[in-house]
Amino acid sequence: MQKALENLFDGLRPRFEGKDAPLGWAWPLFEGAETVLLTPDHATHSGSHVRDRMDMKRLMIFVLYALAPCILFGAYNVGQQGFLAEGVSDFSPVDALVRGLWHMLPVIITSYTAGGIAELVFCIVRKHEINEGFLVTAMLYPLTLPPTIPLWMAAAGIVFGVVIGKEVFGGVGMNILNPALTARAFVFFTYPAAISGAKVWDVGGRWWPMGSEAQLVDGYTGATPLLAVASMDRGADPAAGLAELGWGFPELAMGMIPGSMGEVSAVAALLGAIFLLVTGIASWQTMVGCVAGLVGMAAILNGVAGPDSLALFHLPPHYHLVMGGFAFGAIFMATDPVSSPSLNVSRFFYGIGIGALCVLVRVVNPAYPEGMMLAVLFMNVFAPLLDYVVVKRSTRRRAARLAAA
Amino acid sequence: MSDHVVRKGLDVPVQGAASGDVVELDLPETVAYDPQEMSGLYPRLAKREGEEVQRGTVLFYDKKHPDIVVRSPVAGTVKEIRRGARRVITDVVVERSGDGEETFASYTVDQLGSMSAEEAVAAAMATGLFPAFRTRPLDRIPDPAELPQSIFVAATETGPLQPGADVLLSADDKDALQAAVTLLGRIAPVHLTSPSGSNHPAVQGISGATTHQFSGPHPAGDPGVQVNLVDPPRGNNRVWVLRAWDAALLGKALLTGSFPAERVFAAVGVGCQPRFVKTLLGAPLKHITGGDAKVPSRWIRGSVLTGTAVDEGRWAGFGARAVHVLPSEVPRYLMGWALPALGAWSFYRAFLRGFAGAPSDGVDMRPGLYGGERAIVPIGAYQKVVATPDILPDFLIKSILAGDLEESISLGLLDLTMEEAALCTYICPSKVEFDVILKQGLEFYEQET
Repeated sequence: MQKALENLFDGLRPRFEGKDAPLGWAWPLFEGAETVLLTPDHATHSGSHVRDRMDMKRLMIFVLYALAPCILFGAYNVGQQGFLAEGVSDFSPVDALVRGLWHMLPVIITSYTAGGIAELVFCIVRKHEINEGFLVTAMLYPLTLPPTIPLWMAAAGIVFGVVIGKEVFGGVGMNILNPALTARAFVFFTYPAAISGAKVWDVGGRWWPMGSEAQLVDGYTGATPLLAVASMDRGADPAAGLAELGWGFPELAMGMIPGSMGEVSAVAALLGAIFLLVTGIASWQTMVGCVAGLVGMAAILNGVAGPDSLALFHLPPHYHLVMGGFAFGAIFMATDPVSSPSLNVSRFFYGIGIGALCVLVRVVNPAYPEGMMLAVLFMNVFAPLLDYVVVKRSTRRRAARLAAA
Repeated sequence: MSDHVVRKGLDVPVQGAASGDVVELDLPETVAYDPQEMSGLYPRLAKREGEEVQRGTVLFYDKKHPDIVVRSPVAGTVKEIRRGARRVITDVVVERSGDGEETFASYTVDQLGSMSAEEAVAAAMATGLFPAFRTRPLDRIPDPAELPQSIFVAATETGPLQPGADVLLSADDKDALQAAVTLLGRIAPVHLTSPSGSNHPAVQGISGATTHQFSGPHPAGDPGVQVNLVDPPRGNNRVWVLRAWDAALLGKALLTGSFPAERVFAAVGVGCQPRFVKTLLGAPLKHITGGDAKVPSRWIRGSVLTGTAVDEGRWAGFGARAVHVLPSEVPRYLMGWALPALGAWSFYRAFLRGFAGAPSDGVDMRPGLYGGERAIVPIGAYQKVVATPDILPDFLIKSILAGDLEESISLGLLDLTMEEAALCTYICPSKVEFDVILKQGLEFYEQET
């Protein structure tokens, strides 16, 4: 099998490699296909003679592995929320999973196809190898979308994210903003009706092959828990209000709630976090910083909240942790090594900024009941500044040490 | 005495360590010097092709400092002067015949201990062993006119498969090492470093030097890192570094007035039968390994991290004490990026072996990139292998690439050692060559100053 592949690629290589090759323009495609199937056998020609087996492809695929719980639980929950909205309660988990995948897979496939074409065109024009970071971007992005998103909007978003979020800066490693969130932000601000409000978060009443023409149950709102809290009366106790809607803390943490396709479950995201931390792929400083910032800011707002304050002011920190996109964002979006700061110290402060901003946006600006996307993008912009401060501190310490020696 | 524990770094577990006793080889037919490995020395030949030389005869010297001489390890004839691109001299080959010897001044320890600094430098240069010294920063052969801030004599070596004091120094070398330390003490304060817990008889009880012990993974044994940790160069000062086994040779030459030509080498790597041998300085590579490589291989003088790849028909170097024969075929793995790759060791925990540690006999490494070259994606790994404090390797590299000399100096351009940069290159998942970029940065620095 391997031998046959090696022979196949070796046979095709002359058509693609080099300036005068007939299919030279498609070299990134050939290179991409070859290195996906077989590790490259390029020899070192300068620098250290031996290299570690680790490469960017492995780094990125491990993020996809870490996303598996979110994808699977997300699919299950999309189906489940659809049934619940229709008043159906005797569905099996397999029914829910199948129904979820029916709605979810087209969005994921659209994301990979549209984004992949944009990526490939850029690679051919700019003559660089295909960046495997795209595999992660194109999976993260659909997981942050509602399951009802029209496919053309999903496609427009990912193309924007790949081109403006990444490729115009020179590709993975050069970008300033997280490309997946850039894509989502594009959809969020361009087609707000498709990605916010109470009507988009579940697939109840939509056709699927095994489903009947079910109607939504009377009085069903479809609001996400955050939206529900945002619309509670001033001074109300949000935890009690959520419990009335059937969302205790365990349901919220598990993610048995309407929401974006892959973001709902803090538990599934936590499984991914454990995988990322054990394998050393993601930075624990960022994750810990995010939690610290969120808990701290939520506690402060709880403290200043009076009886006239919005219900969101009273939402306790541990509810903030499991609601909305915080867990998913802190674990998969904020830890993007390129758009976050490079140094461990600055990553911690970057995380704190994200956590605190996320709560601020949620609570103080009820026009946006969810703040994680905006918080991460905002702190992405400040990442170089945070690094700058730490670098200056390090060079000062170095100079002082040399002067004292 | 002070103890230093180096926590950052990595022992690259490459397979093919030499073991057992040192084999005494018959004398080789030819020996050669490669002036290109004597960084900072511009060779001017003292002998032409076909001229007869004795052991200890000056073969070539430095154009700028003619007192820095290089002496022939054998008596015989200059067989060939090989030149490379732009006519730089790559090999000065001497064919062995006869046993005449040319001597130089010899001293007693008391005489060495009462020299002025200038006299001491002159005595060291006359031995022909001065090119064994390097400066920190820049890793050049020192300018004899600029006295150093201090001198480090390192009995440590942590480079992959490189032989250390246990093989290269014997108990009989103590007097010679003491003589060298006494001489160097006339030039600047001497620091003598050795591995923690070792009590090598040649190093124990040497007087006239501050002693330090170092423990930890590579680059704990790199003299440049030790300088950074103990006595970093201030301002435009230089620190001279020298390995203890070279210092012992220097001492022997000073005490006897005769050029010491015998060297112990390690033949290492999967491509050859690993062994320790005793032969002459500059012996042919195949003389040291005992013949051809078992499979098509890359021949490296020194280590797989910082060594130089050379043609197999050439000769062992002046500085490095190992010849690494690294099989050159790079295996390919089906879907290697996505599978668990149970057997593969990596610095990273994204391979299971990254948790378990490397097999005790090492990993059959090959000279492959194992991945595409990408922009730096900082995942916080580089800091884990750089032992010099307050260095941010990825920022340093970016400032060098940006051509911002002032910024790169303040980030530690002159501090980061080549061993550390090579470790960054080794672990880089984007396959960025930190060591090559550091070299560019240092060249740029020298142009500008």
